[in-house]
Amino acid sequence: LSDQAAYLLYLLFAAGGVALLLALPRGQAAPTRRLAGLLLGVAAIIGAMVLFGAVDIMAPSAFFYFFGAIALFTAARVVTHPKPVYSAVYFVALVVAVAALVLLQGAEFLAIALIIIYAGAILVTYAFVIMLAQQARVLVYDVRAREPLAAVLVGFVAMAAVAGRIADVNECPVPLDTDSRLVLAANSDTGAAPDNDGQANLAAESSTELGNTVQVGLTLFGPYVVAIQLAGILLLVGLIGAVALVRKRMPEDEVTETVTIGQIGKEVPPF
Amino acid sequence: MPGPYHYVILGAALFGLGVVGFLTRRNLIVMFLSTELMFQGVVVNLVAFAQMHRHVEGQAFALFLLVVAAVEAGLGLGLVVLLYRRRGTLDAEAWAIMRG
Repeated sequence: LSDQAAYLLYLLFAAGGVALLLALPRGQAAPTRRLAGLLLGVAAIIGAMVLFGAVDIMAPSAFFYFFGAIALFTAARVVTHPKPVYSAVYFVALVVAVAALVLLQGAEFLAIALIIIYAGAILVTYAFVIMLAQQARVLVYDVRAREPLAAVLVGFVAMAAVAGRIADVNECPVPLDTDSRLVLAANSDTGAAPDNDGQANLAAESSTELGNTVQVGLTLFGPYVVAIQLAGILLLVGLIGAVALVRKRMPEDEVTETVTIGQIGKEVPPF
Repeated sequence: MPGPYHYVILGAALFGLGVVGFLTRRNLIVMFLSTELMFQGVVVNLVAFAQMHRHVEGQAFALFLLVVAAVEAGLGLGLVVLLYRRRGTLDAEAWAIMRG
């Protein structure tokens, strides 16, 4: 990425930051401000597409830009929408877009796992908590953002700094396939000795032969089998912790008689 | 094919949006949703690096990240429910006393 392109990238990030600042909820209804924010944000996304399409030597893939634009737009809506339920719904759309991006990278198993775990399980948990705790009317703490200018500055300056540095990644000499353990393992199974110059080709071949799910499974239950066990323990600890946190201690003699459904939320508090 | 740094920049953008959301929003649930947004940016990054090095270890790490995200969602939402019981509101400013 040349210097000019890097500055253009910073400019686009600044435009995106201003767009997000305009779109953040600020109390009073201001449709023109939000519309301006929306237009500026869309302009920033399109500008990024044009920049990368123009700068990059490799031919751009339309799917990347399509799903990338969806991901950025839905992420901005998650952050700016005043109603948490809509934020959660936009987050589901974001997860689907990210899964598509992951799929474009050839990670099928992870894409499906993202949809099942994130969009399926985690977001349903969020929906439950929103139903438990969110009031129906629009609340002041939802429509009035806290320190929007400072937060947008922090977020977007960090983002632009990281992205500007990372843009040099193509110039960095990347050791491709220096320790592709899985490829070695796959080759030792078949008895073929990998030579150094053909390793990239071998990796590509074995990835098409084995399939992504098999490869991920071999990696997870090969070198990382202890980590898998630890992840299971972590989930168990999280489960016990969540139960212990939210449990209400109730002495046996104070247990009241059952309440009818109509009373809950009126005479009886929901918790 | 877009190179790895396209994905890395996209991941950085998602992460930054998550940071902004976490800092600006006052609703506890939306704050936790913003942390999940940051996780999405990290997933995009990990998969991009996995593709760049042509191994699947990055994808394996992303799966561990899913585990951590699930635990974080469970515990975090438990805490949100607890805080809501105490104050009857989801406003993070209600706990401003914890700033010290």
